[in-house]
Amino acid sequence: MDFDDTPDEAAFRARVRKTLEERADELLHVGAGEEAVDARTSEAELRRTQRVLAEAGLVGIPWPREYGGQGGTLVQQAIVQQELARARVPALINHIGLGMCGPTVIAHGSDDQRSRYLARLLRADDVWCQLFSEPASGSDLAALRTTAVRDGDDWVVNGQKVWTTLAHVADHGILLTRTDPEKPKHAGLTMFVVDLHAPGVTVRPLRQMVGSAGFNEVFFDDVRISDSERLGEPGEGWRVALTTLMNERVAIGGAGSDLGVPVETLVAHARQRLPQLDPERQVLARQAVGRAVVASLATRYTGYRRFTVLSQGGLPGPEASAGKLAGTAAAKLVADAGVRLLGDDAVYAATADGDDTWQRTQGYLPGLAIAGGTDQVLRNILGERVLGLPPEPRSDKTAPFAGGRR
Amino acid sequence: MNFDLGPDQRDAAAGARDFYRGQASPAAARAALEGGPVQPGYEALADVGFLGIPVPEAAGGGGGSLLDLAVVAEQGGAVLAGPSLVPAARAAVLLADVPDLAAQLADGSARFAVLDGPVTGSSPSIDAAGATLFLGLDDGALVVGEGEATPGRPLDATRGLASVRLTSRRVLAEDAGQLWARARQVAAVVLAAEDLGAADAAVQMAVGYAQQREAFGRRIGSYQAVKHMLVDAWVGVDQLRSLVWWAAWAADAAPDELPLAASAARAHAAEVLERAAETCIQVHGGIGFTWEHDAHLYWRRAKVDRLLLGDAAEHLDAVARLAVAGALG
Repeated sequence: MDFDDTPDEAAFRARVRKTLEERADELLHVGAGEEAVDARTSEAELRRTQRVLAEAGLVGIPWPREYGGQGGTLVQQAIVQQELARARVPALINHIGLGMCGPTVIAHGSDDQRSRYLARLLRADDVWCQLFSEPASGSDLAALRTTAVRDGDDWVVNGQKVWTTLAHVADHGILLTRTDPEKPKHAGLTMFVVDLHAPGVTVRPLRQMVGSAGFNEVFFDDVRISDSERLGEPGEGWRVALTTLMNERVAIGGAGSDLGVPVETLVAHARQRLPQLDPERQVLARQAVGRAVVASLATRYTGYRRFTVLSQGGLPGPEASAGKLAGTAAAKLVADAGVRLLGDDAVYAATADGDDTWQRTQGYLPGLAIAGGTDQVLRNILGERVLGLPPEPRSDKTAPFAGGRR
Repeated sequence: MNFDLGPDQRDAAAGARDFYRGQASPAAARAALEGGPVQPGYEALADVGFLGIPVPEAAGGGGGSLLDLAVVAEQGGAVLAGPSLVPAARAAVLLADVPDLAAQLADGSARFAVLDGPVTGSSPSIDAAGATLFLGLDDGALVVGEGEATPGRPLDATRGLASVRLTSRRVLAEDAGQLWARARQVAAVVLAAEDLGAADAAVQMAVGYAQQREAFGRRIGSYQAVKHMLVDAWVGVDQLRSLVWWAAWAADAAPDELPLAASAARAHAAEVLERAAETCIQVHGGIGFTWEHDAHLYWRRAKVDRLLLGDAAEHLDAVARLAVAGALG
């Protein structure tokens, strides 16, 4: 048992670190005190940064070489992510494309689609997004209502997608549609690649409860898509979507990283704020801090166990869902302790000097318990696939979607 | 990174599992409440070599790491075995420089308990009821002696709890505060490991029942109200395993991390086992709170263990203090 890199991993890490140092001038960096870079304001720099990293061989690590990837391992991918974070290089602008859309095109696209799209995706010549969720289908994705109707060599798409990360800067997306409402919900779906610049596509930012707009709504009004942009056969869209969602699980497997604010940030905050509280309040605050630290470390070290499985060549299983479930709970404890340490400032949206780290994090966490798998869906996955408990009986799987139970 | 047990530890765990399943059971824990013997008992644990795992080979022990001991202790916890391996682990640290006594610990010729609180009248201490020699901290000095043990009416008879008044004492080391603190941290890790085994067993028992039992026309595990409760208990167990392994590993490989890791494991263990045991009873419904069913024996273990070697509040406070003082780096 150890927490060190293997010699191979250490050599790979050293090479990545050296590359990031050598090419630092060409890369965008996250400023001190910032956590991320806004794609709305820094799109060009973010695209350039990914292109530079692609040229250096640090993009598409686990992708097969024949499609422009590096043919590497998930552990190497994690090492690159760790080193990018260490060098304060922001997340790649095409992280959705790299983690989810690209692997779906690789698995289900035609040779023509692969050659047209994949190299450009790796270099961020094109940015991609994933058009799945809708206002009436979140957890129950297969209930989606956006339609695609065959018309000659084209399909005509109408409907609305929501919670679409990066749609405002994206050039392409993978789009899940309903092509046969007479079939049961999972059987009537078809996946396409859609051009976000096509006539009839409208992207609107979606303002979240804390005021920021990281997501979008995307509207489709008689948008024409050539049949050659279909991914998989008509009616096979659910199977194609599962490829995407499986890759999402792989992409989220950031070994041992904290969701929300890192616990070390809370500890530094406590170091500064604890002495300013009344002694009795300090006792209570330490309970909250201790609880947050324990929950964070429990999640982090459990992540290390999953990472060990990956590093031995295993694949992420359904138990990975526990990482997001427990990580969300830990993030809430961290944020709550952080806010409470603010004393009187805790009732405002920022402290007197304008710092809103803790209040902003607090406001972001209700969404974290929903996005990318709600707490409840994750518990169902864990209960059924890990503990082997029976599923709920369902009335929606066999009836035709149109007019039936949805 | 390799945060997993090695093949030897897996083998040791499998062997311990077979041993404990053959020698102890929740049924034995129930019988112990009615005056029966604690199983497997000192002799069997000494003979199989478990008491000696943490004792150096030079003193006749197994010379194992704390992780080696923890994976065995987990298996004991799963069947509510007694006596605990906690006093052995703690005594082995305290007797590091006293090889003749360490040898008696390993071969079972002396039965050690370690006293919490004053040696003139200790707090209830694990397996003090059947011990023949006691280790205590007396005015900063490590002492050993014989004593008079006064047990209360047991809530969990497998723990052998008793308060002790030393009737003789001999100083083994002056100024033993640091040694004592480290021994208590090691003890906290082993207690967390036993709780891990008990919590895992309680969750498995409840999951097994939820897969079989039907109500309102279907198996109760299909209801999300039941399923989600079981998942939350399981996630706690899965996370506790990570903290126990980390803390046990740290004791030998990264001693600076041990105080925080031990307190984190101990605090988490107290709450995870309590939740697992209460969930187990709730999922079983009416049968779950009968004397004949095993669920209450895990519940008893939970209600006792959560208060031993410091409760969750004490350890959460320690975690916060250590982290703020820089223990997370």
